[in-house]
Amino acid sequence: MNKLEAKNVNVFYGAIKPNTVTAFIGPSGCGKSTFLRLFNRMNDYIDVFRMNGIISIDGKDIYDKNIRVEELRKQIGMVFQKPNPFPKSIYENVVYGLRIQGIKDKKILDETVETALQQAALWEEVKDKLKDSALALSGGQQQRLCIARTLAVQPTVILMDEPASALDPISTAKIEDLIYKLKSKYTIVIVTHNMQQAGRISDKTAFFYMGEMVEFDDTKIIFTNPKQERTLNYVTGRFG
Amino acid sequence: MSHLDIELQQLKAETLKMWALVNLQLRKGKDSLVNLDKDLAREVILSERRVNAYELKLDRDCENIFALFNPVAVDLRCVLAVLKINNNLERTGDIVEGIAKFVTNVDNTFDKQILQVTRAVEMYEAAIDMMDEVMDAFDKENTSIARRVFQKDELLDDINLKANAAIAEYIRSNPDKIESALYLLSIIRKLERVGDQAKNMAEEIIFYIEAKVLKHRSKVEKQNNN
Repeated sequence: MNKLEAKNVNVFYGAIKPNTVTAFIGPSGCGKSTFLRLFNRMNDYIDVFRMNGIISIDGKDIYDKNIRVEELRKQIGMVFQKPNPFPKSIYENVVYGLRIQGIKDKKILDETVETALQQAALWEEVKDKLKDSALALSGGQQQRLCIARTLAVQPTVILMDEPASALDPISTAKIEDLIYKLKSKYTIVIVTHNMQQAGRISDKTAFFYMGEMVEFDDTKIIFTNPKQERTLNYVTGRFG
Repeated sequence: MSHLDIELQQLKAETLKMWALVNLQLRKGKDSLVNLDKDLAREVILSERRVNAYELKLDRDCENIFALFNPVAVDLRCVLAVLKINNNLERTGDIVEGIAKFVTNVDNTFDKQILQVTRAVEMYEAAIDMMDEVMDAFDKENTSIARRVFQKDELLDDINLKANAAIAEYIRSNPDKIESALYLLSIIRKLERVGDQAKNMAEEIIFYIEAKVLKHRSKVEKQNNN
C-alpha cells in the first residue's frame, strides 16, 4: 500500500511510497510549500482555503470529518525552514510532544530523548548539556533538535519545508546525511529551493510551476532526461 | 559517510566486478587459444554480452552521479576516471572476443608451434598480469602499483616488434601454414592493444588519485613522475 496518496488535487495524480524521500522543487510561489502543507492540514488555518480531491495516508482520507487533526499531526511531523526551538531546555524541547500527550514516566521520557537525539545525529554533541537552553545551540544544531522533537512523537511521515535553507554548508550537509539515514524508517517529503539538494537526497522529485505540478518522476529521470520542456528548462537553469 | 561517498563506493565496486569479469575473459581466451578449446572460446563469446551490460550500467551510474551529486575535485576525477576505465574495459572485452572468434574459426591444420616461435603465450600472460596489476592499483587506490604497469608494457612492445620477423621466418620455413601465421600476427596485435588499454587505465588511476595528467608523456616520464 502507498504511504501517502493525492487524488484529484489540482493536476497531480501520484503516490508516495513508504521509506522514500520525495522532493518538491520549483521557483518561489509555485505552490510547492502549499502543496506540502496539505499533507498535515496546515492550510486549514487559511480562511479562504478550500480543497477538492482526496489526500490519504495508509489509505485513509486525511480530510475526512472524523479525522482528528492533532492525531494526524502526530503521524505526520513537520520541520520548518527556520529552526524554531521553544525557549526551553534541550531536553524539554524533545519531550514537548510527549508531555502534551500526558506522558510523565521519566524513564520513557529519558529514553525518548536519547533515541530521538541519536536519530537526529545530535546526541553526541548535547548529551552532557541536556538542561541547557536550546536557544544556545548553533543554527544547524537547532534544526537537528527540531527534527529530534518531530521524531520523539514517532511519526511515520516527516514533511520538511526547506529545512536547510537557513543553514551554512556544513550544517546543510549534516541535515542531508540525516535525511538520507532517516529514510530507512520514515517517509520523507521535502520542499527545497536547492535543486542540487533534491538531486543528492531524494528518490522522487516533483517539479511545480505556477500552482501546477508539471512533472513527477524518479529523481534520476528528472535530472537526466525530464519529459516536460518546462522541467528541462528549470533544472538546466534556462528558466524564464 | 556521506551519500555521495556511498554512491562512489558502489560505483567502484561495480567497476571492480566488471574488471574481474574482463580479466576472467582474458584468462579463458588464453586457455582456449593454447588448447585450441573451441567450447571455451564460445563461452568467452557468449560472456561478452555481460561485459557490454556492465558497460551500459556503469555509463548510466556515472551519468546519474554527475547529474544528482555534481561531484568536484577528487570525487569528480573518480567519476571521470571510472567513465574512461569503463570504456577501456569494454574495448578489452571486445579484443578478447576477437581472439575467441579466431579460436572458433581455426581449423585442425593450425600449428601450435607458432605460439612458441612468436612468444605469443608469453605476451598473453604479460598482458593478463598487467590487467591484474592495474585492477589491484584501482582497488587499493595505489599509484605506485599503477606506475609499474608502464614498465611491463615494454615486454609487450618488444614481442610485438619482433613478431613480424618471427612470423616471416616461420612462413619461409612453413609456406603451407601462411594462414595460421597471419591469424596469429593479428592476435599479437590485439594483445599489444590490451597492453595499451591497461596503460590507459593506469593513467586514469594516477589522474584520479594524484590529479596528474600523464597522457602523451614518455614512458620514462610516466614511471618517474611521482
